[in-house]
Amino acid sequence: MCNHHENKNCFEYVDSQMPRVFLELVVNGEKVQELIDPTMTLLNFLRINLKLFGTKEGCGEGECGACTIIMNNRTVNSCLVLAIEAQDADILTVEGLSKDGELSVLQQEFIKYDALQCGFCTPGMLMSARALLDRNPDPTTEEVKEGIAGNFCRCTGYQTIVDAILSAAKREREELR
Amino acid sequence: MISKFDYYKADSLEKAVGFLSEKPGTKVLAGGTDLMILLRRNKETCRHLLDIKGIPEANVLSFTPGEGLFIGAAITVNEICEDNGIREKYAALSEAADSLASYQIRNRATLVGNICNASPGADLAAPLLVYNGKVHISSKEGNRVVELKDFFTGVKKTVLKENELVVGISIPDVEPGDSSVYLRKSRIKGHDLCNVGLALRLTAERELLLAIAAVATTPIRLTELEASIKEKEITPELAEWLGDEIRKYMNPRRNSIRSSPEYRLHIAGVLAKKGLLNLLEKGAN
Repeated sequence: MCNHHENKNCFEYVDSQMPRVFLELVVNGEKVQELIDPTMTLLNFLRINLKLFGTKEGCGEGECGACTIIMNNRTVNSCLVLAIEAQDADILTVEGLSKDGELSVLQQEFIKYDALQCGFCTPGMLMSARALLDRNPDPTTEEVKEGIAGNFCRCTGYQTIVDAILSAAKREREELR
Repeated sequence: MISKFDYYKADSLEKAVGFLSEKPGTKVLAGGTDLMILLRRNKETCRHLLDIKGIPEANVLSFTPGEGLFIGAAITVNEICEDNGIREKYAALSEAADSLASYQIRNRATLVGNICNASPGADLAAPLLVYNGKVHISSKEGNRVVELKDFFTGVKKTVLKENELVVGISIPDVEPGDSSVYLRKSRIKGHDLCNVGLALRLTAERELLLAIAAVATTPIRLTELEASIKEKEITPELAEWLGDEIRKYMNPRRNSIRSSPEYRLHIAGVLAKKGLLNLLEKGAN
């Protein structure tokens, strides 16, 4: 058993026992109010407090992008953001992509193109792709690659992911506009 | 994380510098893309976190003709990338911003944070150096302005005192015909630190200015090299000479994990040559 606060090599989240701070924000359209530990990351808040396990922790240091979420219309690595920094923010996680039990076009295309194998990078990949298509509905292959440069996938070799995003962009332009 | 800290988001500069001088053990939080990693690895510990994103002065990104550009400490790298005015006037700055890390990181990371972190390979340092950037510093005792070239003192070290806060960085206005370029070499395309980052600027008076990152303990302005160029005419033929000459002015360290000193010296030469040709081509159009 690791003595978390004493062990310099332990990366697990442990409550700092610091005085609680009040956090209010909107997650996937729902207002959330909680008293939280000020040292907690947004990633841990989503997973531990809100039980939204879609967002993953990979490296914990902003390299891999598995924890990517959309905060105030911009993608961020939620492992590098303190939960308290998200005060009054509007957060979208992978759980918020589907509507009324139906997967979004982007998610459907990921399935159609087999754009995942183990699936660990998928939530982050979907959020980066969502933000990319929101700011650029008709991206080139190069722009898609640049848009997901902060998301590592160790299974697919990326080609199917790029194909899925390009196909989703096309479908969204045709179906949703 | 060993650090047990409280969090304070200042809504005015006065409150922020007051907090800094009253509470020792405070770390300044802007984007957090460096600080959060250091706290997680327990390489840094702190008792208080001061979030500066609520300070009005830190949120200023403004250009005044005749005066120049002011970039507040809370301005993110992507805000620099997206500003067409900066891209037109200060191309090297936009290009360096584009090349920094990944889209998600650029959404949080700040330009001032990149400078204050004082990494020898700070991408945004070289373009700010060729534009004679000035660092605006505040503390409870008052304000001071430091030339960026005097700001860095070593690897991850700056002239900043514990009670001081960088409010922003300014660069002077440039004349029409002034152009610049930023070139970098990293191990992989995409999200990676640079092995060499080089900014070249050709002023309207055809003066060539150079600054380089990741080849010494701090990003450096190559003033001696600039002086030796002064007597020469800036032509495509000079590029070959520049590529050889630039290697004399740097001192890359031997034990770097990213590349050997020989490689960095070689790449610096290649980038300098390419950069000058690139600039002259730009000017011809």
